[in-house]
Amino acid sequence: MAGPQAPTRAPESTVEETADLDRPWVTIVWNDPVNLMTYVTHVLRELFGYDEPTATTLMLQVHNDGKAVVSSGPRERMEHDTSRLHAYGLWATYQKDA
Amino acid sequence: MRPFRRKGGAVVARLEAAEAGVLGLLLDQLEQLLTADDVDGDPVMARLLPAGHRSDPAIAADYRDLTEAALRSGKTDDLAAVRASLPAGGGDVRLDRDQAAAWLRTTNDLRLALGERIGITEETEPPEDPAGEEGQQLAVYYWLTALQGSLVDAVAAGRR
Repeated sequence: MAGPQAPTRAPESTVEETADLDRPWVTIVWNDPVNLMTYVTHVLRELFGYDEPTATTLMLQVHNDGKAVVSSGPRERMEHDTSRLHAYGLWATYQKDA
Repeated sequence: MRPFRRKGGAVVARLEAAEAGVLGLLLDQLEQLLTADDVDGDPVMARLLPAGHRSDPAIAADYRDLTEAALRSGKTDDLAAVRASLPAGGGDVRLDRDQAAAWLRTTNDLRLALGERIGITEETEPPEDPAGEEGQQLAVYYWLTALQGSLVDAVAAGRR
């Protein structure tokens, strides 16, 4: 991700990566060199209703680790989440949780 | 350019005539791409409409069948909204919430398309010589980055 602005405060919470049988699919956002860090945080707040610390934590995970699970649930919903992220230009995929 | 700032319920920027002209040309190029029939294998389209699954071609094909038409038309609608609110000869750009969302998505698509064409990486830096052709494209890319960055900040400021 690109971005001059460091987050203004430390992330306060982490997002659980659930892998139970009821929620076997996940949507993943991958790092790319174009999307601004501030934009990725904005999109995660907008689409998933995450508060700022949660969205910032996920954005930093994408930036630092190369990817982050941003939602989990039934396959159809992960398809839908992926397409909503694609509408915003984020690089997203969905898959059965490993 | 005067970057986007929040003014009451709107976000406002000012573009020079030349900047509005460049943005108009970029919108035309993006529209051609989004409405073209045969774009298989085009790396820019592959970035604008990525595969939904990384390793399973059947799932990726399902996903494309399900979503591609709606994604294309959504991006085309955004593009039309940007064009409608772009002063052709330069001047103030004043956007309400929906228009700002369209501008955010479209300026992002323009950066993705241009970034893919000129091979932007995490290490890319602004051009030292903006006069050459490569320097010009890079300068446009960084201009778009500044424009979109100010819009993200202005929109986010309205949420707090």
